[in-house]
Amino acid sequence: MQQYKKMITRQRKWMFYLLAIFVLGAGFTEYLSIFLGLLLGTVLSFYNLWLMQRKINQFGQALAENTSSPKGIGSFSRLATAGLAVIIALRFEEYFHLTAVIIGLMTTYVVIMIDFALFRSRD
Amino acid sequence: MGALAAAIAIGLAALGAGLGNGMIVSRTVEGIARQPELRGALQTTMFIGVALVEAIPIFAVVIAFMVMGQ
Repeated sequence: MQQYKKMITRQRKWMFYLLAIFVLGAGFTEYLSIFLGLLLGTVLSFYNLWLMQRKINQFGQALAENTSSPKGIGSFSRLATAGLAVIIALRFEEYFHLTAVIIGLMTTYVVIMIDFALFRSRD
Repeated sequence: MGALAAAIAIGLAALGAGLGNGMIVSRTVEGIARQPELRGALQTTMFIGVALVEAIPIFAVVIAFMVMGQ
């Protein structure tokens, strides 16, 4: 259980670092729409990450302790979040760069893969 | 034609993700039911598997909404 909790903390930490970098980029560079798009995508991607961590933890708890039946892993909510990001980016095209939003949506997966590659032998 | 393209994109991606997620979850359920003390390690593996599987349908949803929005 310790391994899962440590992984969650590390991933959240990296996501917060990335969000901070994007905020700095939006504030101090000329590429405002690109960084706003990255921010929008990353915020919704962070929500996806949080939801996935929470749902999988609840799923494992329900299985291991046998107290309640497992309730699913929330795939549909995560797909809907991606749809929401694209709808916002298409509706406010002058503020958000669409390609940046899509790259932002994929941030979580990059963080998960790099975290897995770096820490799989250490835990 | 745009709506048809979006429907095919989301439908096929969801089919693949459903199959992949089903395989991952079934093996995790088996593992945790056999050895509940290994829950942390199995949950971590399941988490990474689910994340990798779900990246593609998310791309498909994005492309479908872009096709619909044009």
